[in-house]
Amino acid sequence: MGMNEIKGELSPEELRKLKPNKTVDARGMSCPGPLLAAKQAITEVPVGGILETLSSDPGTKRDLPLWAKKMGHVYLGTIEEPGYWRIFVRRMK
Amino acid sequence: MGEKRKKMAVAVFSGSIDRLTGLAILVSGAVAMGMEVELFLQLWGAYSFRKDVIQKNMNFSEFQNLSSEVAKRLQELKLPSWFDLLREAKRMGNLKIYVCSTAAAIWKAKKEDFVDLVDDIIGVGEWVDKMSEADITLFV
Repeated sequence: MGMNEIKGELSPEELRKLKPNKTVDARGMSCPGPLLAAKQAITEVPVGGILETLSSDPGTKRDLPLWAKKMGHVYLGTIEEPGYWRIFVRRMK
Repeated sequence: MGEKRKKMAVAVFSGSIDRLTGLAILVSGAVAMGMEVELFLQLWGAYSFRKDVIQKNMNFSEFQNLSSEVAKRLQELKLPSWFDLLREAKRMGNLKIYVCSTAAAIWKAKKEDFVDLVDDIIGVGEWVDKMSEADITLFV
């Protein structure tokens, strides 16, 4: 969708090599479902660990980076797949 | 000197033309006064910005018995339609219009199904982030 992507810390190649500590599948949920799912799921990731969120809602790939910044986590980047996005966040606290 | 522009953020839930006209007048004024304005179109607001709906919408939310009189007076006053007011506001200043991604999903609509006034489809997290940076926030 039109707007510029928010830049993550890692390149797509680096993202593909990541081993997330947890993956939450929020595909088929519409906003704010994926955001709330990520908020819940990150509590199950150790500090320093990685949460991967799968979402088919076009808003999530910008919602999660902004949420991560507010919460003091690090947005690593997004991989676009057919019909959905994989969004990676590192828990920092 | 280098004063930061004031920002107004309006969540537009309503799709009735009396409210949209009030909104458009408010937005025109805000843009003319040098403010940045952002709109977030929710359910009926998003519906009203669909290409196949925008010109046909005749819904009034209040005092429906007076709607034909109001419509007539708007014409006599030569007030442009709410969407022409927004188009003009966009031309002369800084106005961004976003559709709520869930509203878009409800209407099974993609960006190209909305009139070209619409800048993007965004999620509520991003919108709340924008609201938190605004000086004025409103819900219509």
